[in-house]
Amino acid sequence: MDCKEACEYIHEYLDGMLDADREAQLGRHLAECSSCSDHLKALEKTEALVAGLRPIPCPEGMTERILQRIPEPRRPKGWVRWMRRHPGLSVAVVFVLIMAGSMLAQWNQGSMLVVKGNDLDGINISGNEVTVPAGVTVDGDLLVENGTLRVEGIVQGNVVVIDGSLQASTANISGKITKVNQAIDWVWYKIGEWLESLAR
Amino acid sequence: MFLDTLENRLAQLARSGDRSAFGQLVDLYKDKIFHLAYRMTGSRQEAEDIVQETFMRVYANLDKYDSRWKFSTWIFRIGNNLCIDRLRKRRPTWSLDAENPDADGVDGYAMLPTNDASPEDRMVLSEMQKNIRDAIAQLPDKYRSVVVLRYLQDLSLNEIADILELPVSTVKTRLHRGRESLRRKLEHDSIL
Repeated sequence: MDCKEACEYIHEYLDGMLDADREAQLGRHLAECSSCSDHLKALEKTEALVAGLRPIPCPEGMTERILQRIPEPRRPKGWVRWMRRHPGLSVAVVFVLIMAGSMLAQWNQGSMLVVKGNDLDGINISGNEVTVPAGVTVDGDLLVENGTLRVEGIVQGNVVVIDGSLQASTANISGKITKVNQAIDWVWYKIGEWLESLAR
Repeated sequence: MFLDTLENRLAQLARSGDRSAFGQLVDLYKDKIFHLAYRMTGSRQEAEDIVQETFMRVYANLDKYDSRWKFSTWIFRIGNNLCIDRLRKRRPTWSLDAENPDADGVDGYAMLPTNDASPEDRMVLSEMQKNIRDAIAQLPDKYRSVVVLRYLQDLSLNEIADILELPVSTVKTRLHRGRESLRRKLEHDSIL
């Protein structure tokens, strides 16, 4: 063993982490090497001096001072603390409530006729009947809610009818036709619409 | 093990608003944190501030305290981090031995904050204690943390590694280098 290795072992020994084998090896080296032996003694004295430093007690009144600084315990309501403990779940609950609320609001918009589309030129609306007359081409998607859609012309896009009826030949509509009548259908439709808007 | 459960129970009580339980936690740890802070910063005043700040943070974060952790590890970590922050704010980059070009011939030692009226200084053995204290003060912050936690708080290498959030091997290296640095300084001062 050379002195460099011995030095490493000495530190491991002082850490209390030298196994019996290596300790024996070190012992043999120290018996022959006075410089390493002195080194070990110096380190041991160092440790003793440092560890022997008298601890300074904390000044008087520290506890009182600290207690004065901490605010009076407010008693948050049970559900506030539940929210703190389950932040993820709380967010999910709030999200569901908001989504349900907004869906309900949309659903309850009454029975007004709604016509949506980018190109509504030439479309006739009479009562709750929406007609795309023969010869008229609608350039884009068309959505009708709470009414009847009659397509005698051409729709170059998707058609969605919610709570109504569609009278058209599929030949006149170049895109998808979606009919939404039941409450469940409507929810799925809205979710699909939302997901689609995310993808865009 | 029992001591740890006691602290966990006190922490739980404190969390639900029991001020007296929190007071007991303060009593249990104020001296240790003060000692740590004093040896790290060398200043009584800063040590007091750090003790207060440490407990403020403990209180503010009781909600997040997980009783699976050891309370002592947690509070020492907070305390040590506060010490390191203070030290960083205090001196930029020069070491204690280097002369400050702005202050003729005055080296870092002279710029260590002095504690007037420290009870230590008034004692007969103060010369020796002062040298040891200075030896610790001249260690780089990283080594000083490990040395103080090891010798003055009697913590195991694993506990120190948890507190400092470092691998045990790094803690060992810093401890070994710290020891050698202290030895050299004390030999230089003819203490050893």
